[in-house]
Order: sequence, then C-alpha cells, then structure tokens
Amino acid sequence: MKRAVRQVALIALPLLIAGCAPAAVTTEGRATHDAYNIFLIAAAVVFGVVTIWLLWSVVAYRRRNDELPTQIEGSNKLELLWTAIPLALVLFLFVITVRTQHTVLSDPPSRVTIDVIAFQWSWQFDYEGSDLQVVGGPNNVPEMVVPVGVPIHIKLRSADVVHSFYVPRALFKRQAIPGTTNEFDMNFQRVGLYHGQCAQFCGLSHADMLFRVKVVSQDQFDRFLTSGRGGAPTGGGT
Amino acid sequence: MATTELGVPEVEAGGHPRGGLVEWMTTVDHKKIGILYIFTSLAIFLLAGIFALVVRAELARPALGVVSEGGYNELFTMHGTMMIFLFANQVSTGLANYFVPLQIGAADVAFPRLNAMSYWLYLFGSLMVLSGFLTAGGAASAGWTGYPPLSDSQFLQGRGMDLWTMGLAIVGIASIAGALNLVVTIFNSRVPGMTMFRLPLFTWGVLVTQLMILFAFPPLTAALAMLFLDRNFGATFFNPAVGGSPLLWQHVFWFFGHPEVYIVIFPAFGIISEVIPVFARKPIFGYRSMVFAFFAIFSLSFGVWAHHMFTTGQVYLPWFSLMSFLIAVPTGIKVWNWLATMWRGSITFTTSMLYALGFILVFVIGGITGVFVASPPIDFAVNDTYYVVAHFHYVMGMALLFALLAGAFFWFPKMTGRFLSERLGKIGFWTLFVAVNLTFFPMYLLGLRGMPRRIARYQPDLGWNGLNALSTLGSFLVGVALLLFVWNVWRSLRKPRTAPDDPWGGNSLEWVTTSPPPHHNFHQMPQIISGRPAFDLRTGAVRVAPSGEGPFDYRRGQT
Repeated sequence: MKRAVRQVALIALPLLIAGCAPAAVTTEGRATHDAYNIFLIAAAVVFGVVTIWLLWSVVAYRRRNDELPTQIEGSNKLELLWTAIPLALVLFLFVITVRTQHTVLSDPPSRVTIDVIAFQWSWQFDYEGSDLQVVGGPNNVPEMVVPVGVPIHIKLRSADVVHSFYVPRALFKRQAIPGTTNEFDMNFQRVGLYHGQCAQFCGLSHADMLFRVKVVSQDQFDRFLTSGRGGAPTGGGT
Repeated sequence: MATTELGVPEVEAGGHPRGGLVEWMTTVDHKKIGILYIFTSLAIFLLAGIFALVVRAELARPALGVVSEGGYNELFTMHGTMMIFLFANQVSTGLANYFVPLQIGAADVAFPRLNAMSYWLYLFGSLMVLSGFLTAGGAASAGWTGYPPLSDSQFLQGRGMDLWTMGLAIVGIASIAGALNLVVTIFNSRVPGMTMFRLPLFTWGVLVTQLMILFAFPPLTAALAMLFLDRNFGATFFNPAVGGSPLLWQHVFWFFGHPEVYIVIFPAFGIISEVIPVFARKPIFGYRSMVFAFFAIFSLSFGVWAHHMFTTGQVYLPWFSLMSFLIAVPTGIKVWNWLATMWRGSITFTTSMLYALGFILVFVIGGITGVFVASPPIDFAVNDTYYVVAHFHYVMGMALLFALLAGAFFWFPKMTGRFLSERLGKIGFWTLFVAVNLTFFPMYLLGLRGMPRRIARYQPDLGWNGLNALSTLGSFLVGVALLLFVWNVWRSLRKPRTAPDDPWGGNSLEWVTTSPPPHHNFHQMPQIISGRPAFDLRTGAVRVAPSGEGPFDYRRGQT
C-alpha cells in the first residue's frame, strides 16, 4: 500500500502547489484569481477527505478471514450529513461567485472604447473617437495598445465565424459572435506586453490568430492615439 | 454451482444454430447484440485513441511537424466525435444489453428485433461518419461541437461534414430506439419479486441513462437536421446575415450536450456500485439515496446547459451557475456512499476492485475541477483552454475507462466462462493509473497558463513546452496500458473455460446462472426477497425453482 500512498501524493502535491492560476494583471482578473484560490482550498479539503478515507479503508479493512462483515445498509443521519455539508459548501462558493462576477462584469464609465473585430485569422482594433486602426494579418501579430490603470471598454464583434478574445494574464475571454456585439471592460494594472489569442476554434489557422495587449502609461497612450505610433509599430512581423 | 447440474445443451430449442458469421448478423439475442455493441465500440475507441496519440505527438513540440493543420483539425474533430457519440454512449448500451435482462431475470429485452435494428443502425451511422475520410475534402473538421457558422457550407466545404451530420443523426435514432427498448424492458420484464427498489444499481444507472437519452437526443437530431438544411438547401437557421442565430446551435447542442455527460457516466456509476459491494462483502451503503441521486442529477442536468456558454456573454449567468454547483451535491452523495460501503468491509483487491478505487480518485479530481468551471468568472479564465480538456477527460473519459475496466475484469468470466489474468491486469492498472495522471494533470496547468484547445502549434516562449512533452509521454504510456489489456483479453480467450457461475461472491441475478449464460438466460430462478438474490441463495436464505417447476417458465420468457 506504500505504493498507493505514493501515487496519491503524486497527484495531491502538484494539485496543491502548482494548481494556482498565474498572477493576473487586470482588476477583474485579480478578483477572479482571489476566487480561484478560495475554490482551490475547498477543493483540496474535499480531495483530502476522499483520499484519506479511501486509503484508510484500503489499509484497515483488507479481507483477513472468511467472516462476513456486519451488513450495514445505510444510515439516514450520515447520508443527511453528507448532503448538507456539501450543499452548504457549494452555496458558499456560489456567493463568492456572485460577488466576483459583480466585479468582473462591472461597467464603469470609461474614456477609452475599442472596437475589436475578429476575423479569420486575425484581429482589427479601432479606437473610437480617433481614426486609428490596427489590423493584423498573416505573420503580422497586431497589438492592442491600452493605457494603464483606467477601464477600457471593448466592443467585440466577429466578421465571419465564432471566435474568442482571450488574454490569459487577464484571466478573461469572451466569444466574438457574428451578428452580436459583446461589450465588456478591462482595467489593466501593470504596464507590459501580454499574450492574447483566439480561444474558440475557428478553422484552419486558428493557432495563428494571435494578438498582443500593450499596456502603456497614459502619456504614451495619448501620443499613440494622436500619432498612431505608440512607441512601437502596430505590426511589423514580430 | 447450483445451475450447472442440469446439463442442458448449449443451444436449446428456440435458439436456432447457424454458421458463425450468419448467426452474428441475424441474431436477436440480447447477449450477442451486447457483444456486437461492445466489440464495435471498442474498435472505434482504439481508432479514436490512435487519433489522440497523433494529436499528442503533434503537440509534443511547439512547431508543426507530424500532420498538416487541416489533418490535425480532422483528427481532433473525429477523436471527440468518435469517443463521445460512437464509443462512450454505445459501449454502455452494449453492457446494458448484455446485463440488464440478466439482472432483472428476463429472457431477453422487450423488443429483440428492434434491438438488432438499433445495433445495425448504429454501425451504419458510425461508418457513415467515418467515411468522411474517404471524401475529397476529408472528414469533418469543425470540432466535435460543430459550431456554426464554421460548420456551415460557406466556411467548410466538402461532404465530410454532411456525412458527419447525417451519420450522427442516424446514430441518434439508433440510440433513441435502444433507449425505448431498455426502458420498456426494465419496466415490464422484471421477474416477479424484483421490485423497482430491488433493482441492481447498474440497472438503475442504465434506466436513468436511457430516460435521459429520450429527452436529450431529439433536440440533437433537430439541431443536426437544421445544420444539414443550412448546408445543403439554403436554410438560414444559423446564418446571422439573414436573421439566423449562431447562438441557437450552441443552445440546442448543449441542451443535449450536458445531459450527454451523465448519459456517459451513469452506467459507469452503476458498474462501480456493483463492484465495490461485492469486493467489500457489504451491501451498497444508502441504496435509496443512490437512486434518488441519479434522479436529482437527471433533473438538474437539463437546467445547466448554458454553463458551456458563459463566455458568449449572452446567457443569464447566476441561474446556470447555481444549478451547476448543485449537481455537485448528489454526485458527492454517490462518492460518500461508495466510500461508506468499504468502511468496515472485508476488501479483496482484485483488479476489478483496483479499477473501482482508481475510478473514485480519477472521478473526484475531474469532478472537483467541474465545480471551478461552474463559476462564471473562473470559467471566463479557463473555458476553451486545456483546463477544460483536462477536466472532462478526467471526469468523463478516464472515469468511464476505469469503470469499464473494472466491469471488464468483473464480468468477463460471466460473459466468456474464462478469467482475465489478474497479474497482467494489476500491472495494467498501475501503468494506466500513472499514465492517465501524467497525461491529463499537466493539461490543467497548461490551461491555467493560457493554452487554448484545438491549436496545432504554439509559440515556444509561453512556458507550455515541458508540460506538453510530459503529457505526450503519458499518453503513449496510456496506449501501452491499453495494449496490455487487449493482450490479456486475447490470451484469456485461448484458455479453457474455468470460471464458475459465481466467481466473486456476487449479489445480482447474473451470478445465479451459468458462465456464460444459456440462450434464454436462466434454467432456474431463486425466489427474490431482497435486492441481493445471489447473496440470498449463497447464504441459504432462499431456494431455487427449476424452470417449469416454479410459477414461471423461463424458456418461454417472462409472464
């Protein structure tokens, strides 16, 4: 049974230490990250109880003789107990969910609105109130330049099939559905260059449908809007 | 050994002996049809598994190298399609066909010819889906979920997608016919004394599964018909340019798709609920709460479909989130009851039992992460990433695989009269257990690091390389473990029949008859006074009445 113990440690350990999501870079993502960690603790507890109970049974109740064990058919008290406790637990997680969702989907007034159009197989970013347009293409990963620390309003549409606008470090994605405009807000908290990618399978070159989010200071962003060159070219095959 | 003394010949009056192939093609015997289902679905499973290995080989390194992008899309589409529609559903139908009539003391299913028709329709539909590979444009390549507009003719030409649509519709019709058959059988063909609350939990699992099929498959058929019309006759159900809605597909597909998850896993729950009590030598803990949990999950599962659509931004989140969370409660009841069944038991660690224990761990890892994705904000992060791939491969794929292997080692002696090798079986179990976690656990971490599903290549600087290599290594080890099992079956079929009627000390009626059972299943039947007739017979609580002497003549079938 040592072997079994080892096996289980093999699963449980990485679950605990490595199961954490990477640090988020938006206010919305940070709220999601906090919720994720609460879920992870609950999950570890439940998994721990199951594993310990299972291993204990395996070790302690190995068949030793032909005597038939007591034929227990059930226990209303116990069954009620393990209905009530998990129910309370998931209701607690639901409350956490609703609160987090409130933060993630909040709609603060924002000065920057970007029209994002997904198409096979790249992205187009239009800045409202400016004639600035960033269009990606084959071997041209487009950059969505945004200012740090303010809410960015995004209007997401698709020109052809269903895509999904996904920024892993923001812990957020949203489908781009033809015929529908999806609106949401992102508030980046850290200057940097972040990987983005289409998450909804969209055909032959789905894997190449990349973009980057370039988070810059407000000054740099203003310069970018007026000049169209926010310190970096909008394409250029990087 | 109570039943072997009669010495009835293998083929009795009523069972017409024919040559091998003709017999298999014309049979209406539920056991033979069951074996046909199992054999066909396992062949499809192995083929779809090979597709998965090619996909994993492609992903072992960031750059494209093994197949083309188009070929890759066909492979993962067909892997999912075959595993879900053509294997997972059908292998359970096979087991249900074989064991439900035995467990309820019936001579056959209610409609034997309909049963044969279901199987042949299933085979025909499956070949139709697979024949996409022979067409000029290749097989379907829009993912097993087939979201339009991508799956529409404007973006995906070629007959492969049409064959996919129609083939699946035919398999769906086969499933609906099969479901009606099994439901009627369980309601009407039970031996007197076998009340609903004395049914074995495998039969309960099958009953609730088949009821779910009756509710879930007609919407799928409708969706497939709409897609076919859109593709071929200029209908515009899913075309937004003229008022159609791509979202409509997602709604209807997932209205089928989420119950489908439980259609896949309920028979597995049933197998585990048979195996654990036998090898712990205790009755199942909380039998009635197990049955109620089936119905609770059944009801809830039809109110959660839109949790697959949280990232569309077009569904009311709190309702679908709450319903999804609640499913964890009845599912948890089952896990606690299995654990409580072992508590203070007298456990024998046969290969079957090891797989049942492995099932619990694998299922719980997958189930717990299901609670994460029931939360919309967390789902926004991990939906459509490898996190979800890991989740459903654990909770549905690997859990089903472990349950099937538990059932294989448990029932193989009953079906063939021969034992599978325990030694090979145990080596296989440990190999598979390590391999499965090596394959799928890294996928959780990949998902958290942002790797989307269904990509053929990735950037090498995103921290995904090592985990992908590990996962690929694990997947080939899974292949080795499954080859061990195939070899085990092959070897055992070449050995003499040594299995007694009741090798494990079973509980349900299949252990009362011979191994393998005669054409009409039972020569004699014990009196049924509890949910454990074989146990009652073994402990001397009841006696058997040979056929024709008691109130029932088993050669004529029931009633």
